Amino acid sequence: MTQVSPGGPSPPGSLSIPVGARAWGGGWWRTPTARRYLFGYVLLAPAVLYVALLVGVPFLFSLYLAMSDASVGAPVARFIGLENFSSALENAVFYTAVRNTLVFTIGAGILKGLLGTTLAFLLLQPFKGRKVVRALIVIPFTLPIAVSVLGWKWMFDSQFSVINWALSRLSLIGAYGSPDWPVWLGQPALALFSVMFVNVWRGFPFSAIVLLAGLTSVPPEILDAAKVDGANFLQRFRKVIVPMIAPILFIGTAFDTVFTLSDLSIVYLLTNGGPDGATEILPTLAYNTGIRGGALGRGAAISLFLFPLLLPAMILLLRTLRRRQI
Amino acid sequence: MSAVAVAPRSHRAKEVRRHTLIYLGLAPFLVLAVFPILWMAITAIKQDSDLYLVDAVPFWFRQAPTWKNFDFLFHNTSYGDWIINTMVISFWVSVITLLTAMPAGYALARLRLPFAESLGIGIFMTYLVPAIILFIPLARVVSTLDLQDSWWSLVVVYPTFTIPFCTWLLMGFFKTVPFEIEEAAMVDGCGQLGALIRVVLPVSWPGLITATIFSFTLSMQDFLYSLAFVSISDQKPVPLGVATELIRGDIYFWGSLMAGALLVGVPVAILYNLFLDKFITGITGAAIK
Repeated sequence: MTQVSPGGPSPPGSLSIPVGARAWGGGWWRTPTARRYLFGYVLLAPAVLYVALLVGVPFLFSLYLAMSDASVGAPVARFIGLENFSSALENAVFYTAVRNTLVFTIGAGILKGLLGTTLAFLLLQPFKGRKVVRALIVIPFTLPIAVSVLGWKWMFDSQFSVINWALSRLSLIGAYGSPDWPVWLGQPALALFSVMFVNVWRGFPFSAIVLLAGLTSVPPEILDAAKVDGANFLQRFRKVIVPMIAPILFIGTAFDTVFTLSDLSIVYLLTNGGPDGATEILPTLAYNTGIRGGALGRGAAISLFLFPLLLPAMILLLRTLRRRQI
Repeated sequence: MSAVAVAPRSHRAKEVRRHTLIYLGLAPFLVLAVFPILWMAITAIKQDSDLYLVDAVPFWFRQAPTWKNFDFLFHNTSYGDWIINTMVISFWVSVITLLTAMPAGYALARLRLPFAESLGIGIFMTYLVPAIILFIPLARVVSTLDLQDSWWSLVVVYPTFTIPFCTWLLMGFFKTVPFEIEEAAMVDGCGQLGALIRVVLPVSWPGLITATIFSFTLSMQDFLYSLAFVSISDQKPVPLGVATELIRGDIYFWGSLMAGALLVGVPVAILYNLFLDKFITGITGAAIK
């Protein structure tokens, strides 16, 4: 592992291959550059292998499972082609799940965007106690998700909901038992709204903080220059700020979309898809079919239907990262 | 009155007005973010009968606060085991993550390997392959390794998201360590490995601590993998245990549920909070530099 070549010590990362080494050593792999590559790939190997074996291979395996009749009980699976996919497509619950997944992701995404933008601009101002406010506001995002969902389950309780107590005292709703007493997790439309709301509650601090990181990276001189040129606030926002923070916005959106699309815990713990499939989403359907129902193949097929929905987010992220690297 | 005397006062009035507007704007967000946590905390130390007094103002105590719900957790459930499981799982996940992500991040940042950027992006992208697509095939992997119903299954599975994230994070970190210190070490006769171990690692402890914290907090965010792979009570990590064992049929142990959730949730939230900027730079670092 010594780096001393005939021409004296060579700094790491020097791209010049010492001529002496090549002529004298008799092979390119003896050069310091080659040794550095070897050293580098040896260092990379454990991480690459781990990820390849436990993300790459399982992903391919899920494609295979989805085309088999594998179940928890039967270890040997038969190849059945696209039957799992077509039987999913024949199931009415599947369409409900797709619709709910889209409504959930898009609706929650818009709300998080609006709340996050407002909050980011507020937090961008210098004011006293800014650090404390910021630390308090990001709590929803930092709390483990299963933990906070349990809190919401208690707040959405059918009888002892603190939200209903407050609404009732404000005379916005009637007393318990009256027809306008909302049962948040028990009425189809309210249930879908409630699970979305918890996702928004958890995600809006993330949107705000990502946006804030983007906004603080815009050099004030550029904004001043735009101001001098007579651009008003909206023009500055659209023509200067948005293009400059676009990469960070894309990355934040991509992450949030993937987390929202693939999160099971909110719906699973609050309603488990109920009442009557009103909050069924692809993750809960995949879990209940594949693990609870034991039909691994059918479950894998359903979860793979998420992939086309995830793909745009992943491509967006890949392109943003790529462009930045060049 | 001279203009000089007026200026500071009107400036102050303006500042007060500005602050008031900002605080007014922030108030709804603060209530939204903090109220659920306060409500959980109050519930956790209320007596059971006090929870169900519909006529009383629920934000305060009718009966004396109690630690009974915490006692219940430790004496009537496996909560103690869950905490130990969580700690041990996080420990092993951190070890695996550091041993793999640290060298990988270093190699990607420092050794000018061909395709280093693409490899780095490739590893990072796997962070976006969600658990919901992987959990069914991984269930097979777990049962092949004969780890079903043991928390060891989670030690194997959690690095699938901590390694990609921490490799990326450490890659960014190692880029900021000056090249000169390594060069100096090599001039002094250290090999590449020697320079890494003796010179680079000792100045990299902030990055390594950050990676450890994220191995811990990201593991704590998981729910799906533990739900799918672990069903024996004393093998569960805290989030799963609290969510599944304190609801028996139609009976919800609300006080203990909130107590158990907050007891681990709050420390995790505080840790995460302290390192949140690193998390954001971690995922967006490439975009803002």
